[in-house]
Amino acid sequence: MTWIVQYLWLIPALPILAAGIAALLKQRSRIPAASLAIGSMAASFLLSLCAFAHVLGNHSGDGIQVFNVRWFQFGNEWLKLGWMLDPLTAVMLVMVTFVGLLIFIYSIGYMEHDENFTRFFSFLALFAGAMLGVIIANSLLLLFMCWEIVGLTSYLLIGFWYANPKAAAAAKKAFIVTRIGDLGFLLGMVWLYAQSGTLLFYDAGAGCLEGSSLAHLVARTTILGLTLSSAIGILIFCGAAGKSGQVPLHVWLPDAMEGPTPVSALIHAATMVAAGVFLIARIYPLMAAHAGESLSPTVALQVVTWVGAITAVFGATIAVAQYDIKRILAYSTVSQLGYMMIGLGVGGVAVGMFHLITHAFFKALLFLGAGSVIHGCSGEQDIRRMGGLRKYMPITFAAYAVGMLALCGFPLFFSGFWSKDEILSAAHTWSISQVPFFMGAFGALLTAFYMTRQVYYVFAGSNRLASASYDTPLASDFEDPGHHPTHLPHESPAVMTIPLVILAAFAILLGLIGTPAWPWFQSFLENKSAELSFAAFSNPGILPVMISSSLLVFLGLGLGWYFYGRRPIAIAESTDALATLQPGVFTVLGDAYYVDALYAATILRLNAWSAAASAWLDQWVWNGVVQSVSYFVVGIAWIDNFIDSGVVNTAFDSGCQTASRGGQLLALLQGGRVQTYLRLIGCALVALVIFLLWGAKA
Amino acid sequence: MTPINYSELLQLALPQVIVVVTALVVMAIDLIALRKRAIRIRFTVASALASLGCAAAILQILVHPAQANIFDGMLIANPLTHFVQIALLVLTIFTLLISVDSRFTEHVGEFVLLILIATAGMMFLVGSQDLLVIFISLELLSLSLYILAAFNKRSGQSWEAALKYFLFGGMSAAFLLFGFSLLYGLSNSTSLTRIAGALHGPSLNPLLVIAIVTTALGLGFKIAAAPFHFWAPDVYQGAPAPSAAFIASGSKVASFFVFFQVMALGFAGVNGTVTLSHLVRGWVPVLALMATLSMLLGNLVAIRQTSLRRLLAYSAIAHAGYMLLGILAHTQQSLAALLYYVVTYAFATLGAFAVIAVVEEQRGDDRLSHFDGLGKQAPILSFSLAIFILSLAGIPPLAGFFGKFYLFVTVLAATPNPVDLLWLVVLAIAMSAVSLYYYLRVLKRVYVTPPAIDCNAIHSPAVTQILVLALAAAVILLGCAPNLLLKWIDSAVQASGL
Repeated sequence: MTWIVQYLWLIPALPILAAGIAALLKQRSRIPAASLAIGSMAASFLLSLCAFAHVLGNHSGDGIQVFNVRWFQFGNEWLKLGWMLDPLTAVMLVMVTFVGLLIFIYSIGYMEHDENFTRFFSFLALFAGAMLGVIIANSLLLLFMCWEIVGLTSYLLIGFWYANPKAAAAAKKAFIVTRIGDLGFLLGMVWLYAQSGTLLFYDAGAGCLEGSSLAHLVARTTILGLTLSSAIGILIFCGAAGKSGQVPLHVWLPDAMEGPTPVSALIHAATMVAAGVFLIARIYPLMAAHAGESLSPTVALQVVTWVGAITAVFGATIAVAQYDIKRILAYSTVSQLGYMMIGLGVGGVAVGMFHLITHAFFKALLFLGAGSVIHGCSGEQDIRRMGGLRKYMPITFAAYAVGMLALCGFPLFFSGFWSKDEILSAAHTWSISQVPFFMGAFGALLTAFYMTRQVYYVFAGSNRLASASYDTPLASDFEDPGHHPTHLPHESPAVMTIPLVILAAFAILLGLIGTPAWPWFQSFLENKSAELSFAAFSNPGILPVMISSSLLVFLGLGLGWYFYGRRPIAIAESTDALATLQPGVFTVLGDAYYVDALYAATILRLNAWSAAASAWLDQWVWNGVVQSVSYFVVGIAWIDNFIDSGVVNTAFDSGCQTASRGGQLLALLQGGRVQTYLRLIGCALVALVIFLLWGAKA
Repeated sequence: MTPINYSELLQLALPQVIVVVTALVVMAIDLIALRKRAIRIRFTVASALASLGCAAAILQILVHPAQANIFDGMLIANPLTHFVQIALLVLTIFTLLISVDSRFTEHVGEFVLLILIATAGMMFLVGSQDLLVIFISLELLSLSLYILAAFNKRSGQSWEAALKYFLFGGMSAAFLLFGFSLLYGLSNSTSLTRIAGALHGPSLNPLLVIAIVTTALGLGFKIAAAPFHFWAPDVYQGAPAPSAAFIASGSKVASFFVFFQVMALGFAGVNGTVTLSHLVRGWVPVLALMATLSMLLGNLVAIRQTSLRRLLAYSAIAHAGYMLLGILAHTQQSLAALLYYVVTYAFATLGAFAVIAVVEEQRGDDRLSHFDGLGKQAPILSFSLAIFILSLAGIPPLAGFFGKFYLFVTVLAATPNPVDLLWLVVLAIAMSAVSLYYYLRVLKRVYVTPPAIDCNAIHSPAVTQILVLALAAAVILLGCAPNLLLKWIDSAVQASGL
């Protein structure tokens, strides 16, 4: 047991500690708060690098090292918590701390003018700590606890500008929707505990992801012939779907863009939403547990694949028809998370995780780029009002272009190409159905298309920010009245552009560690060493899929150019090219298939109705019962008091008055009350004796 | 009969002797040297001297813990009696210190003397398992308490209450003596263990029935259990605050201990049961009836009270009901639980009376409306009062909560079938819930209700503030770490072999 495993807990503990201290600082202690958060994050990053190096050098066994501690005892059993270090953990640690560190630094510039700067950094650090806790947890319970803190900080950060009712509503929505998924997670966890008696993942053979426990879970079946492991896996997947914005729980993610842009980049693009994917990767042995030698994927993995495929296409189609720069990216995130799920479902941990890592970098890059654009345009978020920013913001443009090409999956040079290609080729060979492959391919085409559309809108043509007339307001003006940016766009400060450049470099380079020729990343996750062989390209299925997906990307880029690039968009009010072609479809997509409206009409109305019914019951039935009980008690008390003070005292008082009129003190004490008292004692004595003699049978 | 070794006897009773000698010295000094001085000085000197005496007695018990049992239990010394005696002495010290700021009498020496004499009586009371000694020390205690209750000669209420207390007490003492004499007649002995040996048999002798009932009556009077509680509200209200505090705390501790001893030791053969389906005659059904009545009456009537002292009196009746459960269970664990409960209860009550004394002194009487807005005017007193009241209500993590919890648990564990006493415990818990109502009403007045416009500001004396803070700290500490006290009680109970 090396020190890094033993002290792995420091990685999440440092940011949480920093958050705690920053929370106690005064509002104007901006520099201490930021330096605390960034310092703790940097320390965690260094520790993560140590952990990573340790895993790199450790090739023995399955590469999993755990450290468990006893938490508390109930009955005869100890509840244990623990943390673990394996390749998956190490990769995620490095990714989260590195991206987090860059975004923390970027936030200094972005949040410069905000009066609650200190609070912001406290929340950010708390988030980072909780997220790191999710990653190192070796117990489903510890993971769940950190998971919930992550949800809480997500709520706090989305609603950071709580004075804006839209942000407050979005925060509430995010919290409630993810909570619906978490209910499934909790049920799955409880069920797992009931069946296996432990929530530790790995515990020297006794953990719930290890042989004996899995064998037990696979052997039992529940309704519909589902194995127990699949049933539990699907329940836990509900939690993952909530956090990772899978259909039908995706509705909160686009709204979450009301939060500050660094938050969108860190939480709702790079890390938190990936937690769901990570969770599935973590419990992959459970999801993939087979009965016997059967080779077809388990039901749980099929569910993951189909949900992922639907989400991938669903998110991509909606992104085509959005105007808000961040909402486009949000729907794109939904779609990409779908890809990761497909990857996990069809190809295993390595395939899904590779896309997770590359996506984290280029999506963080895109969000920070979008933030830089918004910052430069004084808060404008509508792409129709931008245009021509290439001249004003060259660095941002270059970085954004890299991110966009990586997201589209532009062949060979960008990381997104390799990770997406791997998912598609795994889907191509899936034994159940070819449909997810075609859905993924269609999604890839759409991705290239909507990103081209966005880039043309934002960076090409002439600037429409100042020229846009506000006499005929756009739809978004109604939501944000009185917002009139006037001065020209400007490039963002270095503290914001440098993270962009670093992230751009990674968006290109990261692809090289996971190519079919040198699948280092995949081997690393499986704790094997990779070998360089260009012959891998000639394996059946690899090259055709690669070529066809490249063609699709080019087709998407071409279509984008055809619709938006040929004629520069001159004025903000001109109709979208796609809208002129297919106004009906465009409206439906623009409103995100009316899912929100559907929920409002069904679930929310049902909920409101049942709340009203409960309120009625509470007010008239339960309250009535409680009230009548309390009136009854008060009544008895009143009668009791009446007897004690009314009858006895009154008798005494009247006796007193009679006697004192006569002026005889002794008469007063002998009259009335004391006699009554003593008489009562006598009665009690007699009653008790009678009670004992006759009342109770020997 | 073995010859009496007087020096050994004296050695054994040395703590009591110290207390009595202190009492005489204090009175002598007060009468000879301090007659012309201000009352405050006299009270300060007398209380300080008396407290020193009590501390010396505690020291004597701690340094030379004797182990003895003379004449079949006439005088007993073992870790358990030591514990109870120390608790009594500590409570006496607190009572003495509370009275430092009082001005109700010029007869300071006599007042302190009587408190110390009562303390000596209590110490003899708990250190004996013999009917005669029990009765005599009970009378020593009671007579001192009657006078203490009457001590404020300027207040009609005070001596009226005292006279009622006296008449009532006299009658109960008569019944108790009657019961004791019947017991002697039945068993030919005054020693509790011998009585128990003579008494057990399949059916109850009518004489024994009367003995049981009269004994329960006489001791039930001391602990203010219904239906022998009539004196309590008047005395709690009328007596000077230190006297009332003393009656409500120290005297309760001693009486409960002796009640337990007499019932569990003396009537060991005739317990009876109170299972709902199957009632067996004995002393347990009698006490169960008293407990039920006390819990119901105490809690319900307390709701309607408008004076804090009367409220505390009815609450004391209710608490007597809970504590009777500990006697009903009559196991070692329940004795430990009962002792823990009664000691922490005494702390809380004593503290509450200290706060009442201050408010009363400056506002005239203890009407609840005089406590309006106290939280702003006397923050320390109010905070401590809140702690005491919440502890009485049994809110965690205060001592009162743990006391109740432990008592109920031991009561349930006492019988082989835990369901036997379940209905009583359920009633007790339900009534605790009711009690929350009137306790919280007091706190609402202290913290929420704004003070009356014309009321004068409260000046909190420093000594009282320190005292109530110490008591509040004890209540919190014992609630958070009950083992501090419980370990001691447990080992003492084990060692005594009761």
